[in-house]
Amino acid sequence: MSNANESPLLMVGWDFHQTPVELRERLAFSPEKVKEALSLMRKEGLLSEGVIISTCNRSEIYGVTGAALTGKDPIEAVTEFVANYHGIPRPEVNGYGYRFSGTDAARHLLRVTSGMESLALGEHQIIGQVREAFRLASGAGATRSVLHRLFQKALETGKRVRSETGLSSKPISIPGVAMELSEKIYENLAPRKFLILGAGETSSIFFDLLIARGATNIEVTNRTFTRAEELCKRGGKPVAWEELNSRLAHADIVVSATSSATPVISFEAAKAAVAQRRGQPLFFLDLGIPRNVDPRIADLNNAFLYAVDDLQEIAERNRQERQKELGPALEILEEELEEFLSWFGSLAVVPTVASLRQKFESIREADFDRHLEKMTHIAKEDREKIRLMAQAMVKSLLRRPTEAIKDEPDPGRRLDRAEAARHLFDLDVKPKE
Amino acid sequence: MLGLTSLSALALILYMAAEAFSLAHLRREKDSFATATTVLLLLGFLVHFAALEIGGRAVHSVPYRDLSSSMSLFAWMIAASYGILLLRHRESSTGPFLIPLAIFFLLISLITHPGPAIVSDPKRSGSLFAMHVTLAIFGYAALTLAFVLAQLYLIQNQQLRRRKLGPLFSKLPALDVLSRLHQTSVVTGVSALTVATVLGLIWAKSHWGTYWDPKVLFTFLIIGLYMFTLFPGRAGGGKKNAILSIAGFFLLLFSYSIVNLFITQEHMFQ
Repeated sequence: MSNANESPLLMVGWDFHQTPVELRERLAFSPEKVKEALSLMRKEGLLSEGVIISTCNRSEIYGVTGAALTGKDPIEAVTEFVANYHGIPRPEVNGYGYRFSGTDAARHLLRVTSGMESLALGEHQIIGQVREAFRLASGAGATRSVLHRLFQKALETGKRVRSETGLSSKPISIPGVAMELSEKIYENLAPRKFLILGAGETSSIFFDLLIARGATNIEVTNRTFTRAEELCKRGGKPVAWEELNSRLAHADIVVSATSSATPVISFEAAKAAVAQRRGQPLFFLDLGIPRNVDPRIADLNNAFLYAVDDLQEIAERNRQERQKELGPALEILEEELEEFLSWFGSLAVVPTVASLRQKFESIREADFDRHLEKMTHIAKEDREKIRLMAQAMVKSLLRRPTEAIKDEPDPGRRLDRAEAARHLFDLDVKPKE
Repeated sequence: MLGLTSLSALALILYMAAEAFSLAHLRREKDSFATATTVLLLLGFLVHFAALEIGGRAVHSVPYRDLSSSMSLFAWMIAASYGILLLRHRESSTGPFLIPLAIFFLLISLITHPGPAIVSDPKRSGSLFAMHVTLAIFGYAALTLAFVLAQLYLIQNQQLRRRKLGPLFSKLPALDVLSRLHQTSVVTGVSALTVATVLGLIWAKSHWGTYWDPKVLFTFLIIGLYMFTLFPGRAGGGKKNAILSIAGFFLLLFSYSIVNLFITQEHMFQ
């Protein structure tokens, strides 16, 4: 079953690693297109099950081959479908991306969900995107036993990797590091007071981050007041640039991202603000280049100062630490993959039919033959005839379910039936719930 | 029926198990580990109380008259003070640093082994006297926790200030949380110590005819110093507060050892 050429499980995909953004944009699926494409692929018999993951960094199709693909190359067929669906010339689509089947396809999904294939190693967002893709496909009736089990396993793996290793624990972006540092001075940022200097792109990013963390007390000051007003339409309070020094003491965290060539927060102003705060810490995040905040402020008791370089250095260190966590994360991944493959392998026709026969025969031997042996009032020859009749009956009982599994032309349905038989008759390998 | 030593040993095992789960929680932030820590700590606390109860019945008093029982009582008070912190702040990440204190002092108690019961000295008896000593030990226990918390504050503060974020950085709570935990410990310790001192003064007046004892002076100094840390505006807040708290603890140690041994007659160890 795990043999790449024979496995009904496949995936085709294009991601940021090798596919240019222009092509990725054309290969993207909106939620409506996801449903439509899945429905078409199933209708055309290309896939019996399918899930499409479509984010800004990747478009990937996972599927179990359908009845129409008997004798054809399923990966080629799905790739052709994608090219036709998006109206992209086939050579262009073929020139990029990756295609896997069987074990490799399953492993790739587990890697994606764990954040190992993400632009920012170990990032959290992807697990939600995979969950959403699965939800969308399930809602469209495009998933059955195999992809259901595979995606559940992938989500479990993603969760385990994040909780049991440090692959996602430390932030690797500058805003992420800045927020982590802020939360190590003030645990809960929501009730804190913020003062943002500047109204450019960086200020805007931080403004949104603070709003997302529940902050309601945000003041924004800018040399051009109207720009501060513009930014504050999203929830803050604009403050005149002239009031900057007097507002310092009221803030718990000051984010400075102006394009000023000279420091806009002097040592003296910060010292006066810290003194007014009666022992409460004041955190300066200097995101300006060149520096906006006098570096001597870092020496003040109860003042903390981090500049862009400091944040970058921490982000880089965290990135290296995440790399070190790849080993333990891969161990978890392989462990979970093994479990999935063990279940998936058990769904193959030959082991399922063999298990089914073994089960019935063992019941016959245990319950029927044992009782028959005790019936000494029946002649030995007659007991032998009864035994043969019982054997024939077991064969008859098994004939229909065996044929239903073996003769089903649709690989997806075949796997479903095998899974149903295993479940109904409690056959040896039980999938982990 | 388990005896005093067996119960103390059982309490020690439970505290150690709580510490193990507390460390596991520090490594992997699983809620089940935090719950296991609290449950084991509570069980240890109750078993430890049963041991103290047996010791107390033997001497017809609160068990603080010999080194072994006073260390055991001190360990129990530390567990109680940590319980107050847990109830008040629901912050379990300091557990790995605070639970070992209870383990350490209970271990000393077990190593020094309880000797034959020392029955109450008639000169130092009565419920007022017992309350005085018990509350003083409770105050010392809470201030011992404040001492450790002040150090944790300094470690976290130093990491943030030097921009060297070591492995403890992400494990320790935020500065404001450490500050609040420290404040609760100081308020608990100072309150207990103040009431203990007042009770001691009342008892001293009725038994000795005077309030004066050099120990009183040092206790007031300790209380004053810790009170100062409760007003960060005056003490300087942050790092200065933590340093002041650590200084207070050293003064407390001085009062408990040098003052008791060489300066006061009335608080000298038996």
